[in-house]
Amino acid sequence: MSALPTTPGRKFDWRNLWLYLILAVVFLIIAFPIYWMLTISLKIPRDIYRTPSLWPTNVTGDNYRELIDEKGFLTNIKNSLIVAGTVTIVSVIISSFAAYSIVRFKYRFKGLLGRLILFAYLTPVSLLFIPLSIIVARLHLGNSLLGLVVVYLTFSIPLSTWLLSGYFRGVPADLEEQALVDGSGRLGALFRILLPLSAPGLVAVAIFTFTGAWNELLLALIFITSEDKRTVPLALNYLITGDVFLWGPIMAGAVLSSLPVIILYFMAQRFMVTGMTAGSVKG
Amino acid sequence: MTHISRRRFLGTTTAAAGAAALGSTRLTEMLSAKAAPAVLQEKAKLTYWGGLIFSDDANNLLTDTINQWGEDNNVDTEVVMINQNETNQKVSAAVESGTMPDALDMGLDLQLLLTNTGQLMELDDLYTKIGDAHGGWYASVDAAAKLAGATTGIPFGPSGNLLFSRQDVLEAAGLTPPPATWQDVRDWSKQAQKPPLFGMGLALSNVGDGNLQMSVLQSYGGRIADDAGTTVTLDTPETRTYMEWVTGAFADGLFPPGATTWDGAGDNTAYLAGQAIFIANTGSVHLAAAEDDPELDANTNFAALPAGPVMQVSPINPNVRAIPTSTEDPDTAKALIEFLANKDFMEQYLNVAIYGPALNEYASFAIFQEPVHAGLLNLVEHGTAPGAPDVYNTAYADFSANFIVPKMVQRVVVDGLSVDDAIKEAQEQGQLIYDKYK
Amino acid sequence: MAASPPADRVVHDRPFLTFARRNAIWGYLLVIPAMILLIGLVAYPFFYAIYISFTSRIVGDAGHWIGLDNFRYLSKTASFEKTIRNTITLVVVSDVLKLFFGLGLALILNEQLRARGMFRAFVLLPWAMPGFVAFLVWRLLFTPIGGGINLILSETGIDNSYIDWLGQKSTAMPAVIIATVWRGFPFWCISFLAALQTVPPELYEAAKIDGANAVQRFRSVTLPHLRQVILIVVLLSSIWTANSFENIWLMTQGGPSDATMVFPVLAYFGMQTQRLGEAAAVSVAMVPALLILVFLVTTLIEREDD
Repeated sequence: MSALPTTPGRKFDWRNLWLYLILAVVFLIIAFPIYWMLTISLKIPRDIYRTPSLWPTNVTGDNYRELIDEKGFLTNIKNSLIVAGTVTIVSVIISSFAAYSIVRFKYRFKGLLGRLILFAYLTPVSLLFIPLSIIVARLHLGNSLLGLVVVYLTFSIPLSTWLLSGYFRGVPADLEEQALVDGSGRLGALFRILLPLSAPGLVAVAIFTFTGAWNELLLALIFITSEDKRTVPLALNYLITGDVFLWGPIMAGAVLSSLPVIILYFMAQRFMVTGMTAGSVKG
Repeated sequence: MTHISRRRFLGTTTAAAGAAALGSTRLTEMLSAKAAPAVLQEKAKLTYWGGLIFSDDANNLLTDTINQWGEDNNVDTEVVMINQNETNQKVSAAVESGTMPDALDMGLDLQLLLTNTGQLMELDDLYTKIGDAHGGWYASVDAAAKLAGATTGIPFGPSGNLLFSRQDVLEAAGLTPPPATWQDVRDWSKQAQKPPLFGMGLALSNVGDGNLQMSVLQSYGGRIADDAGTTVTLDTPETRTYMEWVTGAFADGLFPPGATTWDGAGDNTAYLAGQAIFIANTGSVHLAAAEDDPELDANTNFAALPAGPVMQVSPINPNVRAIPTSTEDPDTAKALIEFLANKDFMEQYLNVAIYGPALNEYASFAIFQEPVHAGLLNLVEHGTAPGAPDVYNTAYADFSANFIVPKMVQRVVVDGLSVDDAIKEAQEQGQLIYDKYK
Repeated sequence: MAASPPADRVVHDRPFLTFARRNAIWGYLLVIPAMILLIGLVAYPFFYAIYISFTSRIVGDAGHWIGLDNFRYLSKTASFEKTIRNTITLVVVSDVLKLFFGLGLALILNEQLRARGMFRAFVLLPWAMPGFVAFLVWRLLFTPIGGGINLILSETGIDNSYIDWLGQKSTAMPAVIIATVWRGFPFWCISFLAALQTVPPELYEAAKIDGANAVQRFRSVTLPHLRQVILIVVLLSSIWTANSFENIWLMTQGGPSDATMVFPVLAYFGMQTQRLGEAAAVSVAMVPALLILVFLVTTLIEREDD
């Protein structure tokens, strides 16, 4: 997809030396906080407090063991996977429909709808959570993963729709017209032509949505109560009990909870770049 | 799978929009009927929100005990431990959406707010009954329990700040802890501190710990408001004396760096890291140190908060169990709370939780011979009522939640304002808050 | 299912009324699920919250209409003015920095370098980890005694004092901005990188033949292609930053002396006293600014489209 060919230079190009130097500095800046998180997750509590050091002394896996064996962290990961996965799927489907409608159909109030979607996105969560909690309670979805899925759609749908409509606009309409002529119908055109052609955009939007839902804390705090329904950020937050931070397990949890998303990003890195292209450029 | 969840999802969201737009109660009823299948159950149901504290043993013991009680009494119990840092938000959302539990733990500020809006049941009978059965309530606990205006909470574990001192460091400097006055704390800090070990590990930030400065201010004779609890009286010579004590200590470098932005864990971390000689703490640091750094724990002296030139202010917080008016089965909730006051459970519980005794009967537990618990027993016997000598009302709670006193200190030590200007500003800001409740 | 092309693509030479209507119905049908969600879960709560901000509502008591009293009170508090200033500073400065670093890095990563693919993925790390975690780590790094940054300074012999990064007026906001930029710039970088892929290489060649140097090529070819994506990213990122709570709450809680107080944190403090009307007023006070921002940027984007 990339417009530029990626030819791995056989010879080292010395003119690029300064670029590599800049990259090395950027690497250090990005890596240092991550390194810090790793070292603390490998330290015993006493060392964390008493002998701060750039390198871990007395390396231990206890924090990870405590987190998984005693705090049941795997349940939290499972919950987060369920919530983030469901939000992603539902959100991509609904947003695809909405974006398809906004880009390819003609009806009144269309322009208004498009802008409304963007306005929806800027509403501060702090403003929404009390009214949302009333709605969620009326639906009897309080303290349930499904309830969390529903509230997460409030931020995922506007962004997904917006990005996807940008992407759809970049796909030539003639292709769908062909499908319509062939008798596939409008949904057929969407599913057989538009969506496959927009695969990179869909992947980018899906990863965006997944990350957003995976990392969300504030709403989860309000809507989830039971221990067995806590998501990952919530479980980590519960490691701060009152006025004590369990830094070791918190950082171990940070490492573990970052892993799935990081793996996802590495796998989809190519799509991210191409997928963002149309989505953001043609927004 | 996807299909089903999507359809279900669409159904619920359609309903959400409908319910939202119409505010229809009928729809709500319809939905509730759908959500709770009409399986007739004789068994009573009870949800309990306990306050999560820094002791897994204590949290587990409470959960297990309540569940066991449920089994014995044919009650379906669900116990959820709520992180205390988020209790306010969770309770707000739960009250607004009608999803409060049948009983829950809370602190005084929340109890006061909820009592004012009629969210909590009056429990006078239960309060008297439990008091009579267990040797009577401690006077300080009794006073605190009545502050909310009505007896809406049953105290179970009064807590409060103790002064933790580094015995080893102070003795090496020829000093014998505990210090009697706040001036001693400052003088001794200057004498004994060797950075990175600093003297005064007291938060000056916008967190609950920062409001300890309100108590210090009061011990210097300062007052937040008049006896009617309506007019702020911060602009006094006594406040000036206090401000000179605290800002002078800061200028001398006696506070660990970071004290102006510490969160609730700041003093704990500083103490455990060996960066503070003195801290004021409710006891969680002792538990953490006992587990991870026993040496430090052994070198710690636990005592009541020092006195100021005018008086000793050492407030207790009567942590209570309360029953929301929304519960459908108050009798079951009352029965549980009554049961939880029993001696056997409380003896085990206080062994692992850092609380003082609420009832006279508990004072005989062996644990109250231990240094930290002895300090808490002393606090319950001699401590002051919350807010005292000021009137503890909603305006006072709002004033505390806006951290006017720690901010007054920050204005001087961070922004370089003069003490007089800082006091003047705090007086104005404080009055602004009190005026809301006139 | 009509086997006809969409209306906007067709010359109207047949009786198309029914087709157009059917088309419109399909359009509505497809957008309805999203609309129901947005109306039920965003618009309704949004207007409800605005309504609350004009009432004396507290938890458990609906209160009554009090007009602008909450806003009047808010404007009198010492924190309010600083909150406005801080929110603007935070948004503007971090936007500028993210633009600089994001664009710079994107340009570098668009060059043919070794391990470019690996690095592109690596850059996304700060963005991929939970914000909650990222800002806790930054707080540990800024800790005066034993924090990562002061340890580096002392181990390299640059500075041995215990610099209180988050506790001093002069350094608190810069420290928060650094952490915010660290976490946010990958999104900018990857968006710019994506946009750079759409620049046809021929344009560069043509500019080269015309004798344009690297800077001129950047200004005449690259920048025009990036203008729109810059607008969009600025818009999204400004909204995120203005609404972000975790960065400030976990690092400074708005302190010291309100040096880093921003709207979401102020609203959170408002919630502590359960005065819902007041807390809502804090959030509502920020909405006009966001509306202006959205209006400006969407207008600019539309103008670009024409």
